[in-house]
Amino acid sequence: MKAIPGIAVRAVAAAVPKSVARTQDYEFLTPEERHRFQKVTGIAERRIVDSKQCASDLCAFAADQAIEHAGWARESIGALILVTQSPDYPVPATAVILQDKLKLSQACIAFDVNLGCSAYPYGIAIVASMMKSLSIQRALLLIGDISSRSCAIHDKSAWPLFGDAGSATALELQDDAPEMLFDLMSDGAGKDAIIVPSGTLSSRRPRTDEAVQMELGSDGIMRYPDNLILRGADIFSFAIAKVPSSIQRTLEASKHKPDQVDFLVLHQANKMINDTITKKAGFRPDQALSTLAQYGNTSSASIPITLCAHADQFDKVRQLALCGFGVGLSWGTCILSMHAHTILPVIETDNVY
Amino acid sequence: MNIETFIDKFAFAIEVEPESLSAETEYKTLDVWDSLNTLAVIAMADADFNVALSGQDIESSRTIGNLWKIVEGKVANT
Repeated sequence: MKAIPGIAVRAVAAAVPKSVARTQDYEFLTPEERHRFQKVTGIAERRIVDSKQCASDLCAFAADQAIEHAGWARESIGALILVTQSPDYPVPATAVILQDKLKLSQACIAFDVNLGCSAYPYGIAIVASMMKSLSIQRALLLIGDISSRSCAIHDKSAWPLFGDAGSATALELQDDAPEMLFDLMSDGAGKDAIIVPSGTLSSRRPRTDEAVQMELGSDGIMRYPDNLILRGADIFSFAIAKVPSSIQRTLEASKHKPDQVDFLVLHQANKMINDTITKKAGFRPDQALSTLAQYGNTSSASIPITLCAHADQFDKVRQLALCGFGVGLSWGTCILSMHAHTILPVIETDNVY
Repeated sequence: MNIETFIDKFAFAIEVEPESLSAETEYKTLDVWDSLNTLAVIAMADADFNVALSGQDIESSRTIGNLWKIVEGKVANT
C-alpha cells in the first residue's frame, strides 16, 4: 500500500456554471423515459457551460477562492497540477497558462494530467508525492471537465448524464499531518468503454481532408468522430467488480473499518452504480455523500464538488474514503483525514479568464 | 440456484411480473426493455448470484435461458 505522510489539505473549492439543464426538459427522451432515467441514475439536473467558458475558467475561479481561504501569498505556491480531459488547447498544457492567469511565480511547477473519473485520488497522490520529494511547501491541485462539449446533444447514453464543474484543492507540507493512503489501479484493456475516438492530427485516428461526418455507432447513435462514446454497461460491470475491493484494500491498510470512516465520497457515476459500490464495500447508505441529483456526473471534478456541496458537514475533522473510477480504465482510492473548515461551498460563475 | 430463481430475480430487476417471463422470453424484444434494464440485470447478477455479467453478455444473448447459461457457467467457475 502507498502511504504519504506530512501533507495537509488547506482548502477545497468547486465552481459550476450558472446554466441548469434538467432531465425533465431533455427533448430526446419521452416523458416516461425521463422519469425512469432520473429514478435509475439519480440525476435531476446538471450545470452546463456557455460557448465561451472552459474547464480551466471554472478551475481558476475555484483556485482564487481556495488561495484566499488558505490565506496564501501567490508567490508561495510551488506547484499547480491540472487534471482534465477538457484542456483549453491540445498544445500547450493548460496548467502552464493558468500559472500566468493566476499570477503565480515562474518558479511554480505546472503541467497537465490526462485522467477523468479517477482524477482525485490520482491527483492527490501526484501532488503530495512531488511536494514531499521536491520539498514544495504549497501546491494547488486543479481538477475539472466540461464533458457537455464532448457529448452529442442527441446522445441519450451520454448527454443527460454529464455536468460541467471545476475544482481547486490547496495542499501544504505539515510535518505532523497523518498519512494519506492510496490504492491506484489501471486497466487499458478497457479503453473503449469511454473514448473520444478522434482528435488532433497526431492522434491514432487523425482528421482527413474529407468533410467530417457523423457515423453510426454499434449502439445505433450517430456521432462525430470527436464526440465522446460511453458504453454504460461495460463501465457498470467494471465498476461493481473492481472498485469495492480497491476501497477494502485501502481500508485494511489504514486499519479502519467502514464505520470508522465519516464519509465515503465516490465518483458520481450514477445512482445504481454508486449504491451498489457503497453496499459491496461495506458502508451504510448515509455514509455516502452524493451530488448526482443537482450536478450529475461531473467527471474528474465529481469528488471535490461533492465535498463542497456538503461543506456544512465539515465543521470538524473528518475521516474520508475518496474513490474515483472510470475512463482508462483507471480507478483508485484515497483515505485521508480532512481538517475542519477546509471545505468551501460550491460557487456559481460564468467568468472567463 | 436454478433457472426459476433466475427468472424471478430477472423479473424483479426489470420491474415486470415473474409470470410474464419464461426461459424462452426474448428479453430485448420486451416493450419495457431499454439500456437501463441492461444495468439492472448486471446489478441483479452481481447482487444475487455474485457473477459479473458484461454488457456484451447481455447484448449477445437472445433468451433469458441463454443468459442463465452464462450466469450458471460463471457461478461454476467461481
